[in-house]
Amino acid sequence: MSLAEYGFNVDNGYLEGLLRGFRSGILNKTEYLNLVQCETIDDLKLQLQATDYGNFLQNEPSPIAVSVIDEKLRSRLVVEFRHFRNHAVEPLSTFLDYITYSYMIDNIILLITGTLRQRQIAELRNKCHPLGSFAEMESVNIASTPADLYNAVLVDTPLANYFKSCITQTDLDEVNIEIIRNSLYKAYIEDFYQFCQNIGGATADVMGTILAFEADRRAFIITINSFGTELTADDREKLYPSCGKLYPYGLHQLAKCEDYEQVRQVAETYPEYASIFAGAGNNPGEKTLEDRFFEREVQINMLSFMQQFHFGIFYSYIRLKEQESRNIVWIAECIAQRHRTKIDNYIPIF
Amino acid sequence: MASIFRSELMTYAQLFLQADSAYACIREVGELGKIEFMDLNPTTSAFQRKFVSEVRRCDEMERKLRFLNNELEKTNIPILPCGNVEAPDPQIMIDLESAFESKEQELKEINVNKHSLKKNLLDLKELHHILQKTLVFFTEAGQGAMRTQGAMETGEEGKGAGGLLNDDELAGAQATKFMFVTGVIACERLPVFERVLWRACRGNVFLRHAQIEEFFEDPNTGNLVSKCVIILFFQGDQLRTRVKKICEGFCATLYQCPESANDRLKMHTDVANRINDLQNVLRTTEDHSNTYLLDIARHISEWQQKVTKIKSIYHTMNKFNLDATRQCLIAECWCPEDDMGAIQEALRSGTERSGSTVPSILNRMRTTLKHPTYFRTNEFTGSFQAIVDSYGVASYREVNPTPYTIVTFPFLFAVMFGDAGHGLLMTLFAFSLIIFQNKLRGVKDEMFGMLFSGRYLILMMGIFSMYTGLIYNDVYAKPLNIFGSSWRPYYYGANFTLAGVKNSTYYTNETWFAKYCAPTGPNTSIICNPSPPGTVCNYVFCNPATSDTKSLCNLPTEAQRRNQPYPFGLDPIWAMSVNNLIFTNPYKMKMSIVLGVMQMLFGVILSVINYIYFKKYIRVIAEFIPQVLFLLSLFGWLILLIFWKWVSYYPDATKAPNLLITLIYMFLKFTSTSPDGVTEYSVFGPTTSVASIQSTTQKILVIIMVICVPWMLLMKPLYVICKRKMAHKGHTHSVSADGEDVEGGVDGEVAKLKDGDLKQGASKKSAVKAPPSGGGGEHGDDIPTGELFVYQSIHTIEYCLGTISNTASYLRLWALGLAH
Repeated sequence: MSLAEYGFNVDNGYLEGLLRGFRSGILNKTEYLNLVQCETIDDLKLQLQATDYGNFLQNEPSPIAVSVIDEKLRSRLVVEFRHFRNHAVEPLSTFLDYITYSYMIDNIILLITGTLRQRQIAELRNKCHPLGSFAEMESVNIASTPADLYNAVLVDTPLANYFKSCITQTDLDEVNIEIIRNSLYKAYIEDFYQFCQNIGGATADVMGTILAFEADRRAFIITINSFGTELTADDREKLYPSCGKLYPYGLHQLAKCEDYEQVRQVAETYPEYASIFAGAGNNPGEKTLEDRFFEREVQINMLSFMQQFHFGIFYSYIRLKEQESRNIVWIAECIAQRHRTKIDNYIPIF
Repeated sequence: MASIFRSELMTYAQLFLQADSAYACIREVGELGKIEFMDLNPTTSAFQRKFVSEVRRCDEMERKLRFLNNELEKTNIPILPCGNVEAPDPQIMIDLESAFESKEQELKEINVNKHSLKKNLLDLKELHHILQKTLVFFTEAGQGAMRTQGAMETGEEGKGAGGLLNDDELAGAQATKFMFVTGVIACERLPVFERVLWRACRGNVFLRHAQIEEFFEDPNTGNLVSKCVIILFFQGDQLRTRVKKICEGFCATLYQCPESANDRLKMHTDVANRINDLQNVLRTTEDHSNTYLLDIARHISEWQQKVTKIKSIYHTMNKFNLDATRQCLIAECWCPEDDMGAIQEALRSGTERSGSTVPSILNRMRTTLKHPTYFRTNEFTGSFQAIVDSYGVASYREVNPTPYTIVTFPFLFAVMFGDAGHGLLMTLFAFSLIIFQNKLRGVKDEMFGMLFSGRYLILMMGIFSMYTGLIYNDVYAKPLNIFGSSWRPYYYGANFTLAGVKNSTYYTNETWFAKYCAPTGPNTSIICNPSPPGTVCNYVFCNPATSDTKSLCNLPTEAQRRNQPYPFGLDPIWAMSVNNLIFTNPYKMKMSIVLGVMQMLFGVILSVINYIYFKKYIRVIAEFIPQVLFLLSLFGWLILLIFWKWVSYYPDATKAPNLLITLIYMFLKFTSTSPDGVTEYSVFGPTTSVASIQSTTQKILVIIMVICVPWMLLMKPLYVICKRKMAHKGHTHSVSADGEDVEGGVDGEVAKLKDGDLKQGASKKSAVKAPPSGGGGEHGDDIPTGELFVYQSIHTIEYCLGTISNTASYLRLWALGLAH
């Protein structure tokens, strides 16, 4: 145990205790089995009442729309997160801020794409994740070039540093937005990784694993999604976050790939990714690559609860809760659309 | 009639209810509140049960009621309470539903109207403020601006405000058109807005702002927000779109502001009029909604109660089984033996009221299930029972320690509290709670609720505190001199000066006390020393004023002391004396030990009552007897020594041996035969012969204690093993006969000393939170031999360590008494 961990509880003991309590509220396998059996959304509501969610839907008139459930789930998470953030002290507070940056990136991209498609800003505002909202966010629509965006909107936000590499882009179109998103994420993940390494101790270990996985997942996804677009191999390689296990050799290999099969071959050389690709497919009975990645993410995040005195659990808890929300919404959608064959495709957590 | 000393006799019963009368029967039984229904379908999930749709309808009704309730809270309309309302018939549910539905709809409509009215009003008010504030801007600008006023534009954005420019610029920018927009923005967003505006427009926009003093109510959330008027000046259409976009992004509302001062003035009055009109309309709408809400407020608590009751009835019915013909519901339940008649009566009236001809049947069943513990409490015993339960609920038919706790708990509190004055306040407070209890019952505050439910407890504590306070002679931390102190100043030596007067006569009691012990007396330090006069005495009666510390004084004469002890409690002189603490501390410490050991002993005795009641005689021999011996040979002996020391070393306690050391040497010098060690710590007397009696007794006691440990540890498991073997051999003797003995190892004593809190001494023995004792005997055989030993050793260790540590804990009685 390093010296910092002896003093961990002085500042963060309360929050860690609280969080571990919240962790026990994450739905377990039996609760999922019960949820899956539900016939209607009302049943689902009744069933969720028996879990840690309690009465969170009690003031909603039936029939409840799935979007309402989604919104309520999200606002619950936001309340919890805000509580953590308000009680946190350095360096945990910065760590928690880092978690919000990814939501900020998503929000900006959402707003830019939205304005590009001539949507009303008020309508887009509601779609933004509350964790990633910041004061300047809604004036995104004045920006027509990345430089504009940087100068007018982002320069004061924590994302400014990440955005520097994107200023050279000439205008905002669909492809460029994707590139901006990915380079923002690349810079963000690398920065976050560096931040965690500077904290050191168990935080560095746990977050190192999680962020390395996150980086590699992005590299794989970028590669697969870029097939058939005009993105060159060089440009593509620039988007890969460099803090993962694939770095550097694997990323070179990925940059050269031209189809899915080649990506799979690259993954073969890394045992942890080989297994993900091995079970993935689009045929019935197989899980999509995305789901396989989610499963692995859940596994990694669960493991972070095995250690004490580190910040990784805060990140993991948020990720697991996000996954849980996705699961509940998935199940609710399946029930609402009477499409029960795929209802089991949720990703159980504990 | 079940006695208050044990829990009620319970019966397991089966209840056959006709499907059509079930609701009415459960309603009656529910009002009675004497039945605990068992869940007969524990594996069925909530939404698969029979009456789930009814429960769901109730949920929906509750939601509507919550909505109505929220509306009432928003408008601060008080809700009228109502008495106990019976659950309506199930048919009424539809009426209730439709009533709530229409109420909710109407209220929502009213709210929508109100909302739009408020929104309009807000817009108008904002405009009003803009006109007011911009007036200031424009007049400020006015002087310099007059020259550029010539060119004007109509429309939302105007050209003007040339006052922004100084004369030099003006000359060059004659042709440029300045436009402006005006709007309102939330104050907290202003700094960021300004920054973004400056960045996005590269500093080409000029912004003026002014805070509006009034707070606006946000029509969506109802929160009050403070807002600012902004006015932006810029050039060119491109900037205009940009500015408008930014305003949109920051939720700033823009308003048209006319160019000319005249138009503005006209608009100003116009807007003021419209605000007036709108406020009138809004007021009528508010009135309307208020009368509507008042009507709801009259009924809502009744509705809430009804819906809750309907929901609980269906919830209970969800626990029932359907029989094969689906004609009747089968329930299983626990009910107290004594209430069977009342339950039958309730069922009968339920059946009658539902108009059903087939009666409901309550059928007693034999069961091996663990019986629940049910204590009948009233308002007085309720709070005491709650305290006992918080340490663990006694098993079925075990001795209930509550009746004893009613005395011991307040008494032990009072030993610590010990102040008659504060005790009186406490008593009066509790008494007023009791007198006004009917009025206070409705108060919902959580802290007060706690006090209120413990009002009888507080009353008892107050009364006992007054008693102990009088014993300690403490009233608001001052002594009462009711009977006159029994102490007399006694001096010898010719030069004693008291208050400047050479004096060698006795004072009579009253004059002496009045002179020196009254608060107005000279600042004299008194040391009370019970030694008889003539002996050499170290204590001085000193007067700081004369610094005459040499005079010796002994209080009182032997004869006077013997004749006149203070009749009740402590002599008030002690409170004045410097050696007050030296006297009271050992006194209270010893008293704590005596009380504590007595209470523990009492707890052990309660356990034997249980053993005898459940016929576990082996536990009397294998547990109770060694326990009592263990306790008495250590602390019983200590108590004996305490009393001996009190009696035999008065008045000069300086010669008395230290009891603590005596107790320690009882073990450490167990083998010592040297007479010094014995006589030095002999309480009975300094002579060798008496001392050796003490030391011999102590040796015997230590040996008994040591024997008690293996006795507690081994006897019962060995007994059970022997019995099992015999049963195996003979096959004649049923094993279950000793089952309860075996089982006893698991049950009772787990909690015995675990809850080591001194206040709960009485409950220690029997407030048991353990597995079955009454009906569960059959499990006894399953306990493997090894575990028997493990259990028994745990209990033995717990008892032995607990005895010692609890005795130490009882010293808290003294320590807290000191802190008071």
